[in-house]
Amino acid sequence: MYGIAAITAKNGWAMALAGALIVMTGLSVLALVISQLHKLAQLIENRRTAPAQPDTPPPAEKTILSFNIEEIKTRYGLMAQQLGDSFELTRLYHLARDSGFPHVHLSIRSLRETGQLVPLGDGMFSWQK
Amino acid sequence: MELLLQFLSNTGYYLVDYRNLIMICVGSVFVYLAISKQYEPLLLLPIGFGVLVGNIPFFKGFGIGIYEPNSVLHYLYFGVTTGVYPSIVFLGLGAMTDFSSLLAMPRLMLLGAAAQMGIYTTLLSALALGFTAPEASSIGIIGGADGPTSIFLTAKLAPHLIGPIAIAAYSYMALIPIIQPPIMRLLTTKEERCIHMPEIRQVSRIERLLFPVAGLILCCFLASASIPLLGPFFFGNLLKESGVVDRLANTARTAIIDTATIFLGFTVGASTQADVFLTPKSIGIFFLGAVAFSIATASGVLFAKIMNLFLKQKINPLLGAAGVSAVPGSAREVHLVGLKADPSNYLLMHAMACNSSGVIGSAVCAGILWSFNVV
Repeated sequence: MYGIAAITAKNGWAMALAGALIVMTGLSVLALVISQLHKLAQLIENRRTAPAQPDTPPPAEKTILSFNIEEIKTRYGLMAQQLGDSFELTRLYHLARDSGFPHVHLSIRSLRETGQLVPLGDGMFSWQK
Repeated sequence: MELLLQFLSNTGYYLVDYRNLIMICVGSVFVYLAISKQYEPLLLLPIGFGVLVGNIPFFKGFGIGIYEPNSVLHYLYFGVTTGVYPSIVFLGLGAMTDFSSLLAMPRLMLLGAAAQMGIYTTLLSALALGFTAPEASSIGIIGGADGPTSIFLTAKLAPHLIGPIAIAAYSYMALIPIIQPPIMRLLTTKEERCIHMPEIRQVSRIERLLFPVAGLILCCFLASASIPLLGPFFFGNLLKESGVVDRLANTARTAIIDTATIFLGFTVGASTQADVFLTPKSIGIFFLGAVAFSIATASGVLFAKIMNLFLKQKINPLLGAAGVSAVPGSAREVHLVGLKADPSNYLLMHAMACNSSGVIGSAVCAGILWSFNVV
């Protein structure tokens, strides 16, 4: 048996339609879930940094969130000096995190956006002196 | 003298068939393409040499050939027929894959899903040409452009077609630079090819840790038959992202995947013994494989264009072509075609996101098709 008759006889239409719908739905749901992962990650990160807050004066968070870039520059500039002329952002991130800095992602992002961290290509960055 | 004549009658020179010679030429072309043109050498070199080995004529009954029980090649081939090698390859692949770009732009995952439409279109075409449903499913999966997935599904549904399907899948993967760019250019305008994608945001470690767990649960709850592929895949990725088992992650993405690739390629090549491989069905499979691959590319590109009708931030439709799971070949081609249209247009990271989504998509499709044919 050949042609459309063969497709119908072997349940081909249902297989193709159901298969296409299932994979489309499955990956759409996965996309939806991963689009929300950053919120969950933020929540977890906040909870992890919460115990450190008593040591850190409360206004510090406010300052970071209001993007007091000068203060961030001062803090991160010192660390950038330790890392040399060029470095990967992950190294800066780990150093900042290990030093107990709050909102490391936001801080590094704001440093990138203000041009303080200059991309050199190949994933390397330098500190704008 | 009689002993000498008997010996000569057992040599390859005496036993050779024109079909063996054809396959030896095919194997030699693969080896040539791998070494000289560097077309997917990691795949084509083991397969090409395997084709040469599998087509040396031999005296049947000695336990030499891959289809003869107790032969060494038969034991090595066991990893193919049971689906062990593809699972191991997926483990290494997971340990190599960085999902950051996909996590930063989850909408690109839809392009990986759209490119799987080639699988179902080819399934219908194969059924129309008279293949049985399990055979048609195995042929259709070539459209996923994923060699290990194709081999895995074929081993489960139509083991007698492993040789031609594996060769077709890997050949078309190697021919990506020839097949995909004309389709991409045909379906897009210059303006569309010049669309710049936004810079990818930083993805936190926690997101990268959560993804393999969420991906495994969501995909395998939906298509549990894809566990043998997606289980090791997401496990490998968790090894990499956890950062606490670097030794294991490193072994998975180097020694383990390399070993599996060598045996997979070599034995698949050796399985193309001329008397088993050179049949009219094989020609049909090669034709349908080309159709599958082309439709998969086209459906990814067209779906991106459809998405653009609803999105404020337009997607470069070329990225749809990277929705097939040929990692990283199709992402590289998308990047190159984008660069040709606009030398300042860097699409590689976004294309890799579609590519990794395509790997997940084709494995899910394999699970779905396997389930359909078992029910």
